[in-house]
Amino acid sequence: MRHRLLTALLAGVLLPAGLAGCGIPHETQVQVDGAGPAGQSGALSGSSDQPPAPTASNDPKEFIRNYLSAAAGERDQAVNRVKQFIAPEGQSRLRDRQSSEIELFVVRLPEEPEATPPNNEGTSEVRVKVQQLGVLRADGSLAPPVASDTEYKFKLRRVGDSGWRITDPPKVLLLSDEALYDYYAPHTIYFWNSDQSRLVPDQRYLPQALPAERKVTEVIRWLAAGPPDWLSPGVIRLPDNTSLINNATGSDGRWEVNLNMPGAKDAQLAHLATQLAWSLPEQVTGQLDLKIQNQSRLVVDIGQEKSGRPPYPLDGNPERFCVYDGAIHPLSFPGEPRGTVPVDAASNRSIVTAALTRSGGRILAALVVTRSGRQQLLVGAGPSPVTVFKGGREFTSVSRPTWLRSTDPQHPYGLTAVDGVLYRFDEVGNLTRVPLGVDGKVTAVAASVEGHRVALVVNGALYVAAVSTDGGAPSLGQPRRLFTKLTNITAVDWYAESRLVFAGSEPRGGTRDPRPAIYGSSVDGALEKPLEQDIGAQVTRLSAYPGPSGALPAYSYMYEANNGAYTPSGIIKPEQVLNLASPTPGNKAPNPTAPFFLY
Amino acid sequence: MVTSPPPDSPTAAARWLRAARALWRVLAARTARLAASVHQTWRRSLQLRVVTITLVASSLLVGGFAYLIADKITSILVENAQTDVRLRLQNGSDYAGKQFRAFSQPQEAQFQDTVEGTVNYLAGGDPTQTNGVVVAITADRVPAGTIEPRTSPNVPVRPLISSELRASVAAGNVAHQIRTGALGGKRTKYLVYGSPVPTRFGQVELYYVVPLDRQDATARDARATVVATGMALVLLLGLLAALVTRLVVTPVRVAARTAQRLSAGLLDQRMVVNGEDDLALLAASFNQMATNLQRQILRLEEMSRLQRRFTSDVSHELRTPLTTVRMAADLIFAERDGFDPAVARSAELLQAELDRFEELLTDLLEISRFDAGFAMLDAEPTDLVPVVHRVTERLAGLAERVGVTIELDLPDSPVIAEVDPRRVERVLRNLVGNAVEHGEAKPVLITLGVDQNAVAITVRDHGVGLKPGEEKLVFNRFWRADPSRARQTGGTGLGLSISLEDARLHGGWLEAWGAPGQGAQFRLTLPARAGDRLTTSPLRLVPADAALPFGGPRDGGPLAIGPGSGAGALAIGPAEGGDRVEVTS
Repeated sequence: MRHRLLTALLAGVLLPAGLAGCGIPHETQVQVDGAGPAGQSGALSGSSDQPPAPTASNDPKEFIRNYLSAAAGERDQAVNRVKQFIAPEGQSRLRDRQSSEIELFVVRLPEEPEATPPNNEGTSEVRVKVQQLGVLRADGSLAPPVASDTEYKFKLRRVGDSGWRITDPPKVLLLSDEALYDYYAPHTIYFWNSDQSRLVPDQRYLPQALPAERKVTEVIRWLAAGPPDWLSPGVIRLPDNTSLINNATGSDGRWEVNLNMPGAKDAQLAHLATQLAWSLPEQVTGQLDLKIQNQSRLVVDIGQEKSGRPPYPLDGNPERFCVYDGAIHPLSFPGEPRGTVPVDAASNRSIVTAALTRSGGRILAALVVTRSGRQQLLVGAGPSPVTVFKGGREFTSVSRPTWLRSTDPQHPYGLTAVDGVLYRFDEVGNLTRVPLGVDGKVTAVAASVEGHRVALVVNGALYVAAVSTDGGAPSLGQPRRLFTKLTNITAVDWYAESRLVFAGSEPRGGTRDPRPAIYGSSVDGALEKPLEQDIGAQVTRLSAYPGPSGALPAYSYMYEANNGAYTPSGIIKPEQVLNLASPTPGNKAPNPTAPFFLY
Repeated sequence: MVTSPPPDSPTAAARWLRAARALWRVLAARTARLAASVHQTWRRSLQLRVVTITLVASSLLVGGFAYLIADKITSILVENAQTDVRLRLQNGSDYAGKQFRAFSQPQEAQFQDTVEGTVNYLAGGDPTQTNGVVVAITADRVPAGTIEPRTSPNVPVRPLISSELRASVAAGNVAHQIRTGALGGKRTKYLVYGSPVPTRFGQVELYYVVPLDRQDATARDARATVVATGMALVLLLGLLAALVTRLVVTPVRVAARTAQRLSAGLLDQRMVVNGEDDLALLAASFNQMATNLQRQILRLEEMSRLQRRFTSDVSHELRTPLTTVRMAADLIFAERDGFDPAVARSAELLQAELDRFEELLTDLLEISRFDAGFAMLDAEPTDLVPVVHRVTERLAGLAERVGVTIELDLPDSPVIAEVDPRRVERVLRNLVGNAVEHGEAKPVLITLGVDQNAVAITVRDHGVGLKPGEEKLVFNRFWRADPSRARQTGGTGLGLSISLEDARLHGGWLEAWGAPGQGAQFRLTLPARAGDRLTTSPLRLVPADAALPFGGPRDGGPLAIGPGSGAGALAIGPAEGGDRVEVTS
């Protein structure tokens, strides 16, 4: 019996002992499955231009110019690059910040920096007069300036033979507008308006050094972060808590965008796809795979998306008109289409200036006419030619009206400045005052091509504001002032999607008087460049075509000065005015005035 | 068990040594006893053997199968996990590669963010929701400090990634390893899988550290199930073997017991027949055999009884007429001188043959008394020396007649034994008579030996001797060495048979030795006290002067004793020359 027990015990011990050996081992040798993925090579598409180093110039003024461009480029290294210009004792004034906190103060140098010659201690002082343009934020937007300094003084100390170092730098990172122009590329991203019928452009700045893949990631992050403050009344954001998961990646013409978008619906995604297609850099082509939480939800072809869904409706047949002898006449330019006056001949008289717009097969016409020395706004809408015009009260002066294309085509609205006050008008001529966030005399107003932004001239200063059409009638958000080189601005219009053309007085150095000039600038006022200078008389009216080049060259504008109409290439001659009645002999032929575009 | 150390023990070490030895001896003795007992049980119990063999064999078999199954389950689990992780790693590596492609310098701060974001993404985003999988990105091939390794969830995973694995992955391989470590407090087995992720500035490494606790638990469960099943199976098989063996062994034991009883004479013992199976057939056949044997034995007994009765009756019946004939013959013999010489000669013949006839009848009656079991031993302490003397004196006439001298070798002191003197004398008379008769005029030696337990008498003659095998036959009834030889003396042919029966009645031995040409020797050995068992005899059966059967060794030559042909037999012969070995003392 004991023997049997022993045997059973033996079996009971042997069996588990044998089995204990076949569990998952505690540790194994390294087992190689094969070679891993091979490395990649090839250059990135980003530009390799870097801002100049501190040693690039021995001249104090040039050194300071270089210093003002040092922060440009890759944002993460901006502080380090700037610190190279700073003597060790001053470096502590610049604290290291997170990449998203780094803000660059963009300044314009209206005058050359002034430098004291180096003294025998090897120091020098450079005075730089500046105009604060704004703050370049991490999201690429140029926000309104927060600093009011108009002059910076830099004490320089010579360091060996290699150049200079700043000993008392400002605590902020400065960036000159030239550097902004050189090392950044303006890039337009789009936000949907509130009824998601139009995409509203928003201009940002992308460092040129960034490769395309990073640009995509940046752009999507910007979109997720939302519009800048001034634009936000007119547009809607992406759904709350929308964020990009890691980087957007692209290979073989296929771009993957993985988003965190709670409760994303297909319609939202379709809109997002359009928004992305227009917002992404132009070199990004091919398929766009929209993923929500790793789930592929929508795949669109970027090219097809762009060609199939324009950001806003735009008639591609711009025509030039002018007012000649109180009537609207088409203008003849070689190689350009010639229009017909869409206004009934009976109404086409006593006209000072006019705004005509095509809207869904109709013509919206707003005419400023003179009635016994006063001016009246006549508004009419209908198929060409518009025959019925209605008007209201008469005023001392009515500025050139502008139609807001963003409003309901059946109930269109326009804006005009009447006696220094901004009014909106509807198609039956009712004028309603539009509250504006700034005080002052409004002298000019111009709506952008999509109709959700307006440029205003208030007290001779340039403003932009967003237009909200919620509730039918348009209202304006808080205007944002643009700091321009010109003063006493008289006229403004949009000559590209995000570019303004405006006329004013150009201050000139020394004792010389300011002279009228026309400047073009970005919508934030930063990238400003003179278009025409030394114009003999003040520019009274300005009109531009903001659409892409096609029938008209891009950036086409016309202006009126000294009772004459001009194009950039010169005065518009009466011979160019079409549909004239037989000229009255003897009388001196009047000049065409108030040129404008119909589109 | 430890014996107390003797008081005069020199050192404690020696005491301990002694104690240990004692303990060892006790243990060894116990073990030996236990082993002997086990061995005995093993030899005796068929059931134990069958059950043990079944248990051992089935344990090996089931253990082997269980090992195979458990091993297979484990390897399948591990392989599944590896495939799973390999796919995840491949996807993760592709994803990370795409993420990192936009960076040309590891120093870019966004790259570090991307590394972190990638790790978090690959780990499943929410660190609290992950199922223990840890994703890590390291940069072993990039100058130290430029890229910080990132882990999600943020646990110290570095010790789990061995330097060999890191070296292998850094060399551009996809590799894996199973490691054990504690990430969440509890030691767990982890599958560590690593793959290089190519970037524009070199290579970083992506690792997945996946806990195998679920697989481990499953493997453990499977193993436990397999072990439990296997053990249950083994025990079941053992039980089954025990039952089956018991089914077979029990009837066999019954049969053995019945056979033992049968052999002990209980001829009416039978087995119980249950059912119609093989065992029932065995029992039935056994019973039939027993019945047949019983019938045969009874028949033979009856026949034997009838035979003996017949002999006895015939002897008795012959005795009465013989007495009458004897009386008449005595008369005639007494008057023979007056007869014609031829008639006188006939009367003498008649007288002699009547003597023989009477002797024969007496012997027959004696034999039949033995056969019938009526012979009774009338034992009393007797001095055997006078008995020998009496026999020799009585046969002296005959010896003298045939020219044989009878020599005696008797101890000086009386040889007292508890015997039936009448039967001993009859045996001796028979033996000495035979010796004288076959002595061929050579001396006959009678030797009387005694020791503590037995007395022995040998009778040695130097006649023709016995052929090999005849030393057993001489005790058969009416046996003759040469049937054609005329009976010269008045032997009945029953003398040695009766002597053998007499010796047996004493519990003694009667043996014969003889060799052709060397004569013969008979030895009677009797226990000194009636009823004792004999073990040895004080005298040798083979006489000292007898030549060895093979001729014997040369004088002074060695004798070789070695293993014989039969089991346990010894072969004795003259040693061959050469390797002689002498054993002295």
